[in-house]
Amino acid sequence: METIKLTRARAHAGIAAMLLGSVAWSGGALAQNVSNTTPNAVATSTTTTDAATTSATTANAAARGQNNNSAGSSSRSAPTDPGVRGGDPGAGGALTGLNDVERQYFDVAKEVFQEVDAGPDGLGPRFNLDSCSGCHSQPTIGGTSPATNPQVTVATLMGAKNVVPPFITANGPVREARFVRNRDGSPDGGVHSLFVITGRSDTPGCNIAQPNFAAELARNNVVFRIPTPVFGLGLVENVSDGALEASLAANAQQKRALGISGRFNRNGNDGTIARFGWKAQNKSLLLFSGEAYNVEMGITNELFQNERDSDPACQFKATPNDHTPLVSEETASPSASFQSDIDLFAAFMRFSAPPTPASATATPVAQAAPAGQTTGAATATTGAASGTTTTAAATATSTLMASASADASSVMTAAAGSSAAQPSSTASSGTSVTRGGQVFSNVGCQACHTKTLTTEKSPLTGQSNVAIQPFSDFAVHEMGTGLADGVSQGTANGNEFRTAPLWGVGQRIFFLHDGRTKDLHEAIQQHASRGSEANTVINNYNLLSRDDKQSLLNFLRSL
Amino acid sequence: MRVWIYLGVAACLAGLGAVRYGAVPSSYDAAAWQSANPEDGKVADGVFVSDYFDLSYRLPEGWSEGLAGPEPTQSGYYVLGSWAPKHDFVGTVLVVAQDMFFAPESSEAKNVVAEFRQVMSAVDGATIDSEPAPVSVGGRLGYRIDFSGVGLFRSMIAIEIRCHVLTFNLTSRDPELLANLVRSLDDLASVRKKMSDPVPECLRDYATSENVLHRVEPDGVGARAVSIPVRMIVAADGSVKHVHVIRASAVQRRNIEEALRQWKFKSYVKQGRAVEVETGMMFNFKPANM
Repeated sequence: METIKLTRARAHAGIAAMLLGSVAWSGGALAQNVSNTTPNAVATSTTTTDAATTSATTANAAARGQNNNSAGSSSRSAPTDPGVRGGDPGAGGALTGLNDVERQYFDVAKEVFQEVDAGPDGLGPRFNLDSCSGCHSQPTIGGTSPATNPQVTVATLMGAKNVVPPFITANGPVREARFVRNRDGSPDGGVHSLFVITGRSDTPGCNIAQPNFAAELARNNVVFRIPTPVFGLGLVENVSDGALEASLAANAQQKRALGISGRFNRNGNDGTIARFGWKAQNKSLLLFSGEAYNVEMGITNELFQNERDSDPACQFKATPNDHTPLVSEETASPSASFQSDIDLFAAFMRFSAPPTPASATATPVAQAAPAGQTTGAATATTGAASGTTTTAAATATSTLMASASADASSVMTAAAGSSAAQPSSTASSGTSVTRGGQVFSNVGCQACHTKTLTTEKSPLTGQSNVAIQPFSDFAVHEMGTGLADGVSQGTANGNEFRTAPLWGVGQRIFFLHDGRTKDLHEAIQQHASRGSEANTVINNYNLLSRDDKQSLLNFLRSL
Repeated sequence: MRVWIYLGVAACLAGLGAVRYGAVPSSYDAAAWQSANPEDGKVADGVFVSDYFDLSYRLPEGWSEGLAGPEPTQSGYYVLGSWAPKHDFVGTVLVVAQDMFFAPESSEAKNVVAEFRQVMSAVDGATIDSEPAPVSVGGRLGYRIDFSGVGLFRSMIAIEIRCHVLTFNLTSRDPELLANLVRSLDDLASVRKKMSDPVPECLRDYATSENVLHRVEPDGVGARAVSIPVRMIVAADGSVKHVHVIRASAVQRRNIEEALRQWKFKSYVKQGRAVEVETGMMFNFKPANM
């Protein structure tokens, strides 16, 4: 049995010396057990602290109660986000292996997902946008917030007089706004739509006002959400509760050693796991569709029958605005011709393929930046498209995240503001991404961003027992005061968020629930704050060499 | 019924060296453990003190508390503290505890480290530097494993106290610093003044129908699909002396506390004498119970 023995004074003096940069340990004093504690260890160099910290990082750290250790470290050796991966989206199509009937159904559903609704269709009276695909469009239909925010344009479309709130900008993320509390101090948490149909030429006579966002902002009472990508969600829907529970329970000791726990947001009525939305508040894709149709577009439907604003002067279609057609709508899919919009929205998500990662041999890589170089936030850039081909096989044991082939030139654009962020050779790109995968697992990202899940038996052709790689456990985790929005949904509290699936993250522009950053490194840092389960993982990240941090970002941008 | 013996009482440590007592000044008094809860530990004047776990540890010179961790979980898991250098960020210490009442019966410290080894050995790029082995940590029996990967050198040391497994998770990019952090844990000390201070017997499944003589069900107010872990101390006369609702809403907490204080247990007799017992149970507000 090894016995750990050292006087306190000696140990502390030694540690203090190490912290001062001294390596002048007394060999005689400390030699007794070093061989046991560091058998294969090779000392890594300790990076010299760069005193220059970015004001933004510092301000953010202070705002979220982050300690100086992490913030200082992050700025000391910040890597460069390679930026949005260009090229073929590798997403937006149907699941591989569907039969012709299912493909036709998907194609019609995708068209309906892109429909733009107007007053006579039931838009509003309060709404955030006028189509599903307007929000879900990056890198293609079904994705997330695009580079140019369509909410700015829709605010005054058709003569509307909406004032664009200050948190909505042309180059910012699509956002919905929620108020944390009501005026009397009781919990609110609901969506307060940005716009009204007042003034639109297709909704004459309606005269309601927008919420007073200025007043609520002054009360620090407004929080935001950005759209979640919907690619591959039918596969997620088809993962059994048992599989999710087993996944969360797996590797328990590693999770505990990282301060990670997590739990599921369960449906209050049947106790099953809800898994969609930023807080996993939506039980199913149909519920997700119905709620979004009502909340985001103001279109009532068979799940959400009633208008959120029932001013009689603002109703231009019978409720529910969307309903199951009893006469065929003569679409290209006989199956779809008798479906309501929300059924088809859900079908689009349910039948859509997951994002395709870039090949490890053709992946964006930013090189190490010179010391002190400012790192710019990644911008929504797209490289020249080149063929990216999904090669996922629809066999019972296949993975739907199989590698795609892609030209190296098609998947890399440098992060804006950093001349150091240049594509490297294909070989070094692959090496960095591979290393990044190791970093991802070693620092503990995968403890929550679980790589692989398997679907159960599916009614869809070729989708049973399929291994998928969403990089999420679909549990909610305490994310600390820095990310907390104070909104409770289901059993998720105001500090908890669902582990964001990382498939397709390489092609996203905005990160975190409110789209607060475009920079992956900053998004990672934002995981740490008082009360967060991710604090230790972020500490581990901050202990990495700059090259390993860079490899992690390169790996993430390959997804 | 499986009986877990409180290691602090720990004659079981004979041969491993005595637990250090009173090594660090503390406000501890004999009754402190009765009202303390696992999450109540704190750092003051550079010393981490936990009355519940009867532990104190002086942080290395130049180190301070890191960011606080999350609240205790529904599985009885606690982040007790994290420590890091104030300036040059070269390493961290994370201390967590898992309540053994709400973990599989195989969750002793030895098995925790063994299971951890299995997990880490499967991580791409990770190397097991030292296989799990017993160690003495401040006179307590513990188990240790060392591993490394992607430039980080790490040790996990697990010990059992009061039916919890505490793990000290040490990370550094400098192996020598890691080694000295490990050694510094030998300065873990007791905050009790003397071994004769009373401690309850630690019994995993004492709150069964066999032992509960009078039971009042709490109102199941709040979210329905949750399980709520509760620890309690049962006095020698069978009354409930202390209730710790580990994670619940305020309403659920109040309802459970009110109900449990009306419970009456059969006295636990040890060596012919009724003694205090600490045990746990899970209240399930699941649809199946509705």
